[in-house]
Amino acid sequence: MELLGIVICGGAALACALLVILSKNTVHSALWMVGNCLALGVLFLFLNSQFLAILQVIVYAGAIMMFIIYAIMMLNLRVAAETDFRKSLFTGRFVVLFLFIICLLALGLGLSPTALKGGMGKIAMAQFGEVNLIANYIFVQGIAAFELVSVLLTAAVVGAVFLARKD
Amino acid sequence: MNDYQSVYLALSAILFGVGVLGVISRKDAIVVFLCIEIMLGAVNLAFVAFARANQSAEGLFMVMCIMAVAGAEAAIGLAIFVLLYRKTGTINIDKFNLLKW
Repeated sequence: MELLGIVICGGAALACALLVILSKNTVHSALWMVGNCLALGVLFLFLNSQFLAILQVIVYAGAIMMFIIYAIMMLNLRVAAETDFRKSLFTGRFVVLFLFIICLLALGLGLSPTALKGGMGKIAMAQFGEVNLIANYIFVQGIAAFELVSVLLTAAVVGAVFLARKD
Repeated sequence: MNDYQSVYLALSAILFGVGVLGVISRKDAIVVFLCIEIMLGAVNLAFVAFARANQSAEGLFMVMCIMAVAGAEAAIGLAIFVLLYRKTGTINIDKFNLLKW
């Protein structure tokens, strides 16, 4: 039963992702991306992570996609020309991608499974994904990273305002 | 314990592949940007799947950090696109070959 739900939501996420890259209209791409985010949110629910599912819907499907659609409205784009995937795949970018995958494989082989097993605190399965456990992690072990994320977001907003202002 | 872990990981890998395909084949800067978001979402899925398999909150925290980085990236990236559109009148990434006017 769970597998059926995973397959349906995964298929929806995959179909939305394919429609993002196949749509000729940029606005349609952005709207299919919202569908992809929602399907991923449901998959997070299947993975017992309720808090992250809520964050996925609010932050991704809500804030970031709304932001992107707003930017598309400001840009006044025309419908793009037909993309020929066969032609555009075999260019210089393909070589770069190939090298990237080789490096990724080397990295994956270099990291042995034992190296990935750190001292991770086990938490009870019933509690996994609940907000108090995540909060406990954030404000005890991850406090430095959390504060750095706030600095990053402030810097991003200041940088965006600086870049987009009219001079 | 490891229920359907491989299904999630396979789905994550396929979604990442779709994102990479879009990045290397599309010319529209905003669609390239959306494909980067698809890749980030795929990585988030892998992180959550591994976090549940290891019963650890670290993966969940990492997903929250990735969401914050995606938001920052959206702010800066779209500001750059608006700026480039004002300068050149297009956001075709093949037309962007200058760092400074």
